[in-house]
Amino acid sequence: MDVTIINPFIASITDVMPQLGFENINLKAQKEKSKKIVASGIVLTLGIVGDKKGNVAYAIDTEGAKQIASTMMMGMPVDELDDMAKSAISELSNMLTANAAINFSNDNITVDISPPTMLTGESIELSMSKDQVMCVEFDIDGILIEINVALD
Amino acid sequence: MENIRVMIVDDSTFSIAVLKRMLQKDGLEIVGTALNVKEAIQKAQELKPDLITMDMTLPDGDGIECSKEILKHLKDTKIIAVSAMMDEEIIQRARKVGIKGYLQKPVDQTDLDAAIERLFEGEELYGILKNNFEEAFKESIFSFLKREIGGEVVTEKVAAHPMTTNSSGISVAIGIIGRHDGRLIMDMSEETALRMTRKILQDDGQQIDDAINFLSEFTNVIGGNACSLLNGLNRSFGLRVSPPTVFRGKDITISIGDLMSESFVIKTDLGDVFMNVGFQKGDVEWM
Repeated sequence: MDVTIINPFIASITDVMPQLGFENINLKAQKEKSKKIVASGIVLTLGIVGDKKGNVAYAIDTEGAKQIASTMMMGMPVDELDDMAKSAISELSNMLTANAAINFSNDNITVDISPPTMLTGESIELSMSKDQVMCVEFDIDGILIEINVALD
Repeated sequence: MENIRVMIVDDSTFSIAVLKRMLQKDGLEIVGTALNVKEAIQKAQELKPDLITMDMTLPDGDGIECSKEILKHLKDTKIIAVSAMMDEEIIQRARKVGIKGYLQKPVDQTDLDAAIERLFEGEELYGILKNNFEEAFKESIFSFLKREIGGEVVTEKVAAHPMTTNSSGISVAIGIIGRHDGRLIMDMSEETALRMTRKILQDDGQQIDDAINFLSEFTNVIGGNACSLLNGLNRSFGLRVSPPTVFRGKDITISIGDLMSESFVIKTDLGDVFMNVGFQKGDVEWM
């Protein structure tokens, strides 16, 4: 596994999430997956270009997404994933990826990121741009977040 | 740099005179001057200038607070700090309240010109992009489908723009990165993707994985061609496309309302293609 690809994303989660009010951040699993990934709930993907090229996809289940949106909105109750909650999640993916981009630049790798694309649904089959996808799973205050990174 | 209306805030009438001369040299219109915070806030509201040069030390307060107050009401006004004082801390504070640039006194004409140019070139560029991206993407997809699929190809713009759209089966997203960032989403049913793949490759044995590969490459080509067209209009766009991500499934909803975007349905003999493309203005970088 190429840790130089995934470490900036791991560092980004551990830096950014506490700033948003999350407390327990545990890296649960780190693995390599094939090109096809199945996810349910919310999937956010952002394009990356520069010294490395590819994309990143964040997957969070619907309940987890609601909890994240609620925490990001200062504890406001989120009963359904309305536009406001979706916008919070979208912003989170943007913050995490922008932070990862800064971490890359500390390793002298310059990358730029695109705005996120958000999809919701059950059993979404994702094909990333590369055959080997680096995947990390986090448990953040009981919420599971999966980050899939395909970068060349 | 024509038609830019400027207000100068400075407690020194000498500094105002110097800045006035420099700005006029650039062809900017000086619409007002203010000597203190109170006057600055009041005049800014009345005059709604495009640009304000802001001294950091004023007799009744500081330029940071003054800028913060002005920007509360005038979201489109750009402020450049002009001050004898310049250190990391004050620059950070300036940046935080939304000041776009920082110049130290005595101001150099070249630095001032460069700062203004960068601030307002962005506006003009965004205008050019806004006026041209639809045509570029429509042209790109039309010529691809006409060439590869043939037959009737009709592009219809989706008038009412919803926040979300339902996928017909397979969706592809690519990120667009440059002076202004954006996104291209292409969506079609599995059947349409299969029919197109089989037609283009002239092979009826093509399966869904081949169709996914086709759609991925299709989106990449449309995005790449359209961005090249736009870059041709102005090199400063520097648009590049990221590799595609393909989504497949039933009942997938795609959020498209978060960017300034346009949607199109392209009708072909082999089925419909949905295309959504949008850009965000983004903030002018600090300089």
